[in-house]
Amino acid sequence: MSARRLDAGRVAYYTLNGAILTFLLLPLAIVAVFALNPTPYISFPPVGVTLRWFEKFFANEDFMRSLWLSLRVAAMVLVLSTVLGAMCALALARGRLPGAGILTAFFMSPLMLPAILTGLALFQVLLLSGVGRPVWGLVMGHTLVAVPYVLRTTLAVLANFDTRVEEAASSLGASPVRVFFEVTLPLIRPGVIAGGIFAFIVSFDQFPISLFLVLPKGETLPVVLFNYMKFDLDGAIAAASMVSIVMALSVVLLLERVIGLKAYVKL
Amino acid sequence: MASVALDDVAPHQAMRRRGVSPIAWLAAPALLLFVIFFVLPFGAMAVLSLLSGNPATNPNVIWTTRHYERFLGDDLYSDALWSTLRIGLITTVFSLLVGYPLAHWMARMKSRIGHAALLMAVIAPMLTGIVVRTFAWMTILQDKGVINTTLIGMGLIAKPLPLMYNEFGTIVALVHIYVPFMVLTLTGVIGRIDERLEQAARNLGATRMRAFIEVTLPLSMPGILAGSLLVFALAISAYVTPFLMGGTNVLTLPMLIYQQVSSSFNVGFAGALGVVLLVVSLFIIVAYNRVLARLSGDEALT
Repeated sequence: MSARRLDAGRVAYYTLNGAILTFLLLPLAIVAVFALNPTPYISFPPVGVTLRWFEKFFANEDFMRSLWLSLRVAAMVLVLSTVLGAMCALALARGRLPGAGILTAFFMSPLMLPAILTGLALFQVLLLSGVGRPVWGLVMGHTLVAVPYVLRTTLAVLANFDTRVEEAASSLGASPVRVFFEVTLPLIRPGVIAGGIFAFIVSFDQFPISLFLVLPKGETLPVVLFNYMKFDLDGAIAAASMVSIVMALSVVLLLERVIGLKAYVKL
Repeated sequence: MASVALDDVAPHQAMRRRGVSPIAWLAAPALLLFVIFFVLPFGAMAVLSLLSGNPATNPNVIWTTRHYERFLGDDLYSDALWSTLRIGLITTVFSLLVGYPLAHWMARMKSRIGHAALLMAVIAPMLTGIVVRTFAWMTILQDKGVINTTLIGMGLIAKPLPLMYNEFGTIVALVHIYVPFMVLTLTGVIGRIDERLEQAARNLGATRMRAFIEVTLPLSMPGILAGSLLVFALAISAYVTPFLMGGTNVLTLPMLIYQQVSSSFNVGFAGALGVVLLVVSLFIIVAYNRVLARLSGDEALT
């Protein structure tokens, strides 16, 4: 093989990958452009820079009420799924349960089962039991899809750590409770925290389950955005979208610092 | 992302002979949550799909298969099922084509910083809301969007191209939304293939391309399969994107399901449509877990 052909192959490889990266990231950059463009409707190319859409977004009562609800729900989901998910991960990795593999697959299944069905099913069971559509129903629905993330990151950490550390502590006379709080918990903490961060953003952006479980005037931010977009596409939507984009970017940076995103790729 | 960490559990099966540890009880709260808010609701959905009405408000409901008969008896519904599967399949194929090169690059990236940067570039869009990403594609593909105004401004076209309110726009946005799942699944598998195998093929005279096609590609087959099943399962359950990008020209099963609940108030028929989608998904999930189980037990890759 000649050196020139090899170079042509290299160039093609990096050009292709550059194009794919552009495809992934450019749409997010374009939203930022529209959030700052002063024209009343989405139009291209941009004609200037303004903050009026951010003002409109933060002054709009519907947007603010839903943003607040989304943040509150996400915070509750974070706490609930972190506690349940971390406990469950410990049980699956250390409990010597027969069929732990199948149980793990079961706990991971809300990620692959259509979320719209989880929403429909929850809606139907709440309807049948006459409970209505309370906020805790929304929190439970989101927790179902958040637990797998905590489980995944915590299991990844548990798989990597040496159980002899725990054995050493207990052979030195530490009680099981003390071993847990002084050895196991500090070691799995990064995985649990990373899972909690995922849980928060997954709940904040969750749409299909929320669609079925929210009440009029009690919608989460993604549902309000969706309803708004059915009729109107203006800069306020772009400004609201920036909230989600900025949050995603901060979460990615935070996760990289806490646990290293690499742990996430592990199959 | 949804991949199940079966291999994480495997080492502990060796300890099983020591009996179940009391630690296993820690799974109880999560199990309770899943039974009450996951298993039970899906059971309720299946029951409602076989009832003539809502037993909570109507005491005279009877068992019936009429919702399923309605599904089978009207071409509208089989067409919706078919277009759901078709959109899912095309999305999967393009996600694979777009995702593979990036996954390969990421798996072979030597620089730690480069690797972290690529991961961030893949995960940041994934963690941005689906509604937001669909909005981004609307601003790009609509008649007055980025592509059409640019092309008209350059004098290349006179009328806007029909990029949106059809299957094309739906699929473009769906590929963008689900390609990170493909990349993350593939990177894990490609990263586990011993690079020296490809090197050996090249030392024996194979071109870079041939070494890839005959060595790396076949070894990454399980990843291709797992990633494709995952993307397909996610794409057939999409609601927002087909609704906003497809307009009135696209009708998928998830859209029909929500329509039945929100405008027709027919929870029984919605349940029957849900059961149909559930059955399709369950087949995919079982296949996916099989692939993963085989993958984690496959020593040739590690």
